[in-house]
Amino acid sequence: MKEFAVFWGCTIQTRFPFIEKSTRIVLESFKLPYRDIDGFTCCPEKSLVNNIDHGAFVVTAARNVALVDELDYDLVSPCTGCVSNLATVKGELRANPREKAEVNKLLKEVGREFKGTSKLQHLVPFFHDTVGVHAIKQKIKKDFTGMRIGIHYGCHMIRPSHALRNDDPLEPRKFDTLITALGAQSLQFMTKMMCCGQGLDRIDEHDRALHFARIKLKELKSLGCDALVLCCPSCFLQFDNNQFLMEKEGEKFGIPVIYFTELLGLAMGYKPEDLGMDLHRVDCTPFIKKWESLSERPPREDAIEDGLNAPGEL
Amino acid sequence: MLEATLNFKLLEQCSKCGACFSICPSCMHIPGYDPRAVIRDILDGNHDKWLSSRHIWQCLECHHCLEICYQHYGFENAMTALRTIAAKKGIHPTQVKRGWEMFVKTSRLGEPALPARKKLGLPEPKASGADEFKKLYAMLKAAREKKENPEGKGSE
Repeated sequence: MKEFAVFWGCTIQTRFPFIEKSTRIVLESFKLPYRDIDGFTCCPEKSLVNNIDHGAFVVTAARNVALVDELDYDLVSPCTGCVSNLATVKGELRANPREKAEVNKLLKEVGREFKGTSKLQHLVPFFHDTVGVHAIKQKIKKDFTGMRIGIHYGCHMIRPSHALRNDDPLEPRKFDTLITALGAQSLQFMTKMMCCGQGLDRIDEHDRALHFARIKLKELKSLGCDALVLCCPSCFLQFDNNQFLMEKEGEKFGIPVIYFTELLGLAMGYKPEDLGMDLHRVDCTPFIKKWESLSERPPREDAIEDGLNAPGEL
Repeated sequence: MLEATLNFKLLEQCSKCGACFSICPSCMHIPGYDPRAVIRDILDGNHDKWLSSRHIWQCLECHHCLEICYQHYGFENAMTALRTIAAKKGIHPTQVKRGWEMFVKTSRLGEPALPARKKLGLPEPKASGADEFKKLYAMLKAAREKKENPEGKGSE
């Protein structure tokens, strides 16, 4: 497997260092060749930077990609936004040689060159494609049989598809495959592909952001969902933080929000505290408790064996 | 230099289609949000009236419109163009401005939370590329100015 640099991004390192923790734990225990490298900046965030200055958006992203190109590494990120932005610029420059030349003229002044040779992947498709479901299954100590999970893909894990090319942009499967490989049931629900709406919080429309979160949380609650699993720090902010704010106002949904690497870590035998899950705003203990109570039941094989061998009249 | 532009030929098709309207989350959940009206105004040369509208910022950039679009174009391009023009005129939500200023100043949108990292046993964060970024951004601005006021020297 080719060495790869992890692009942590601003949001995880600023607000959710526990996501970095669980990601490192999982990468370590799979013995994956991940590297931390110097020199990254913000990816940059599209809605802030691209709306104000497209040139700054392109040059900054191209520089970040150039850093991994130089080292002949690939790039993997646990943030959907970062991967999507970097890949969007990579696609734009590869399709547009003249713009690429312009960018490289600038980059040359700081001793860099954008080639666009490195592969840019989000953590979920990376685990699906490169690590593989088989290898993951071998690491499971205790699976999630009986647990009902709602998956939130996060728009930028899969879109824009011309830049990312990793799954169907409207009916993706890979995240579902990983979650069901861990034994859980992946719920199919109306609002599954709906955008989380966190962007509204960034344009001073907090109430509307809450409204967007509420739509999905309401549906999940009505379906008896045990946890919402996602892999994007913005979506995490929206569903964990904003759900907590609604709880404080008396509107309780009680849907724990779990990062993909946390769920994987739990299945591999790590404790919730090792993974930093005690740092979530919405309490994860109902999920853990239900999971533990399920595993206290005898395994299915034993139950049927007991049934067959039980005394009875024929 | 490195400016985004709109493709009016494709937008012409957009004005007759509207497939994206049925999949866009903002269209579904924000009353009055209708990019078809925006596109019509752009084509009629009346884009100005949208610059101060909240609607252009309510596009979540989820790219659903792009994926369902028969031209793989999507009205998000129109919304991005309007936001860029509005921002140039200084009309934008305060948080966008704050985020942009932080980005230009530090090359990031926030600094790593050091005490929390220590508590979690995470390694020291790697050096950021802030200095190099600042140099690059200054050069980009200089190159643009040169292009806008070409003093004799021909540009490409």
